[in-house]
Formats: sequence, C-alpha cells, structure tokens
Amino acid sequence: MSYKIPMGPYHPALEEPYKLDLICEGETVQDAKLHIGFNFRGIEHLAETRNYIQVIALMERVCGICSNIHTLTLCQAMEGLTGLTPPPRALYIRTIMAELERLHSHVLWAGIAAKLMGFKTMFMTCFELREKVMDVLQAISGNRVNYSMNRIGGVNRDIDDPNAILKMVEALELEMARTVIPIFTTSSTARSRCAGIGVLSTEKAISCGVVGPVARASGLPQDIRRAAPYAAYKEMEFDVPVQPAGDVRARLLVRALEIMESCKILRQALAKLPPGEIHTEGEKFPFMTGTATSRVEAPRGEVMYSVSWKEGSRNPARVHVRTPTFAVMPAIRWMVVGQRLADTPLIQASIDPCYSCTDR
Amino acid sequence: MTATMTPLEAISEKLHTTEPWVDTGGVHWLSPGELKVRDLAKAMNELRARFVTITAYQLPGEQGFRLEYHWDLDGCLLGFPFLLAGDSLESAKIDSIYDLCEAVDWIEREIHEGFGIHFSGRAYEPLLLRQGDTMGVNLRDVVAAGKEKI
Repeated sequence: MSYKIPMGPYHPALEEPYKLDLICEGETVQDAKLHIGFNFRGIEHLAETRNYIQVIALMERVCGICSNIHTLTLCQAMEGLTGLTPPPRALYIRTIMAELERLHSHVLWAGIAAKLMGFKTMFMTCFELREKVMDVLQAISGNRVNYSMNRIGGVNRDIDDPNAILKMVEALELEMARTVIPIFTTSSTARSRCAGIGVLSTEKAISCGVVGPVARASGLPQDIRRAAPYAAYKEMEFDVPVQPAGDVRARLLVRALEIMESCKILRQALAKLPPGEIHTEGEKFPFMTGTATSRVEAPRGEVMYSVSWKEGSRNPARVHVRTPTFAVMPAIRWMVVGQRLADTPLIQASIDPCYSCTDR
Repeated sequence: MTATMTPLEAISEKLHTTEPWVDTGGVHWLSPGELKVRDLAKAMNELRARFVTITAYQLPGEQGFRLEYHWDLDGCLLGFPFLLAGDSLESAKIDSIYDLCEAVDWIEREIHEGFGIHFSGRAYEPLLLRQGDTMGVNLRDVVAAGKEKI
C-alpha cells in the first residue's frame, strides 16, 4: 500500500520552508512532489520601484548566505549598461569576497550535513570554523551578513592589510585540511550515510539543467569562473573538482575540495592585490537603454541577472534573477525516488538548497 | 558542421538561418525570425547546450511581451528573443518546450503565474509561487486590481 508523507513546509530537516510530498511504498520513496513559494516576496517587482542605489541594497537581501554574490552579479550587469569598468583592485577585492562567501557557505553546509548524518561533534566544529570565516568577512566589510561591498564601478571598502587577512586564511586552511576534509572524506559514518545515496546520473543532471557543485558531483565540469571568467578569476589558478558518482558523497567531496580551492584562490588574490582606486569616480551613472546580463558562480552554482533599463530613468525597467537553487531543486525528485524515507532529509540537504533565493 | 566553423556558425547552420549574431550585454543574440521555439529547443538539445532560463518582459502599451530564451554552450551565453502578442490575456501564448527540455518546467510555470502567458501543451497546476492566488498579479499591469493586493 502506498501512502503520502508530507515533509514541510516546517520540518526539523529543513532550514527554510518548502514542502516535499513523498509517495512511499513501505520505507521506499516511489515519487515526490515539490512545493515552493512559502518565502515569495516579489523582489523582482519591487526592484522596478527602486533607484540604482536602492536596488543594490534590495537585491543583497535576496539571500542571507550569498548576499555578496547577488550584488556582484547585479553590479556587473549595471556596469554593462553604464559602460563602466571597475579598477583592477576592485576586481581583486570582488574575487576575495566571493571566495570568502563560498568558504562560509560550504562550511555552513558541511555543518548542516554533519547534523543530518547524526554527526553532532562535526556540526559544532564546522560552525566554529565558519565563525572564523565570518570574522574575516567582518574585518573587511564591517558586516557579517549583508556586506554592502559592491557598487556600480567597483567596491565600497578597501582591504587595508592583506597580510592580516592572509594569516587568517592560512589558519583556516590548516584547520580545514586537518579536521573537516579528512573526516568527511575518510570517516565510515560519512561514507555509510552518503555513498550510493540520492544518485543523480550525468544524463539526468544534463536533462534537469542543474548547476554548481550538484552538476560537478554528477560528472559535469561546469563552472562560470572557468568558462566565462569575471572579476579577477582570469588571473587565478585553480582546479574545478569533479566527481562522477552523482551521490550525496560526491556532493560532499566536491564541496570539500572546493573549500581547498577557495583557499588557494584567496592566497593568490591577497598576494597579488594590485594598488590603486577601488571604484570609478562619480555617483551619477549614465544608463543606456537596453538589457545587460551577468552570470557568476555562486557557492550553489550559476546565478544570472538580466537587467533592463531605459535611458534617463533612475529605476530599472526589469530585473530578472535566475538563482542556482531554482535550477537544481526540481532534480530532488529524481534523487529521492527509490531511496529510503530516512535518507530524504540528507538527500534534499545535499543540494545545499536556498529557498529564500528560489522564491525571491 | 565543418572543422572550421565556430560554435555560433554551427548553430546558425543547424537552425537554417542567415540572421547575424549580435554580441551585446554579455549575450550572443540571434533573432529567431520564423523559427519556432520547439525547433530551437530540439536544435539546442542536439548541440547539448544547457538551458539557463527564460526572461519575460512586458512591452509598453498593448505591444505584448518579449520572451528571451537562454542556453549556455561551453560558457557562451546564447539568447533568442521571441515576441508575443499580448493585447488580451488570452492572446499571450507560446508553445511549451517542457516535453523537450525538462529544465524549463519551473520557469515556464513562474512566467505563466507572473505574466499570464500561456505555454501551450502543458499543465501547470498547482501554482508554483503563489498557491491559491490569482494568476498574473506579480508583474502584469493589466490585472491592476490583483496587483494592488501585493
């Protein structure tokens, strides 16, 4: 006999509200239906009522984890409409902020994954480490969540002492390499809960159009930082970790390896930080009529902004945001089919979902 | 496709079009002309391009809508703008490509809810973002009463 089990919208396994209707046969999931919209705020519509300064503050609030990425993508699109090119130092600072954000997002996810695996000690360790990343972000921006770093034509704050930040990054890297990565990659608990669970095949990953670590864990080597470099990524040397298995463990390994790659990028960017201005001159911007599009690789995958403007207007005519979770989340349905009901919390968490981004 | 062809030329050949590609605003644009969106989706599948999104724009007055379909081909963002009549709620429609490209599901549903555009050949229920709410209240001006509720 099959029966339906609703998971959510408010459930201990979910960090934010969404609903998964699971159709089960005994303990095995036969099908699943996803429901979103519990966080819908109409931000795209609201953006049309904000001027070019206010809209940056608004879009920073699309997501609480990758807030910097949203303003970076928006500012890049708006720079396309104003013809402004940020100075080299600003491009490096944008890269540093983006990688620090990836670090704190991946470590946060590792903590949540550990909690769902029943690995509470690891959860506490990850959150302690995440605090150190947050300290670095606070040292640079003065803020812990909405950093207000990006502006049209550059960044708002400089990095005065790159060596101090470098020391913090080195300490972080050491701790990651010594504790987090070995436990996630070698512990039998992590392996038994994750290996062969929630598989998304390469073919299905292509068909669903998934992005970011989920795509890379299904054998697709796609990364916007490499395929279409922005900020200072063209000048950085880094690897794009890819795992072919497509299971929860592969997603775990991809993110663990990406933590190390982020540290590598951070060390390079801080060491090579060029001198000079951090933004272009002027506070008023001559927007051209047209549409500009920008893509960046957020911690969860590709974010795309399409911004449309009419010359002489202070407000955008349209801002469209395609977030990574919006692209990845429908694939959860295929990951949970045939799996044990008890594994579904970890499987859905393995995509590192952000419902706030998805609903906008 | 010949060895000397660029990826963009290969797409033009596959789509049987001589329209020029225009590189602007971070996108390689190709006007689809007489091309149907379903034929475009089939061609993108054959090229193994990754679907990215559809961006909907409401045009001034009763000019209708512009739907911009985006695919990624090896890091190159492709854009195909389709114009839709939209002088009434019933007239704004375009073929769905959901059966050809699974990845469009949510964005077709979102545009259907936000703009009232109908993607022919698919079912939507339940609503994706505003379950139980009126369709087209998010961005579409014509449903003014609904818009005031936001």
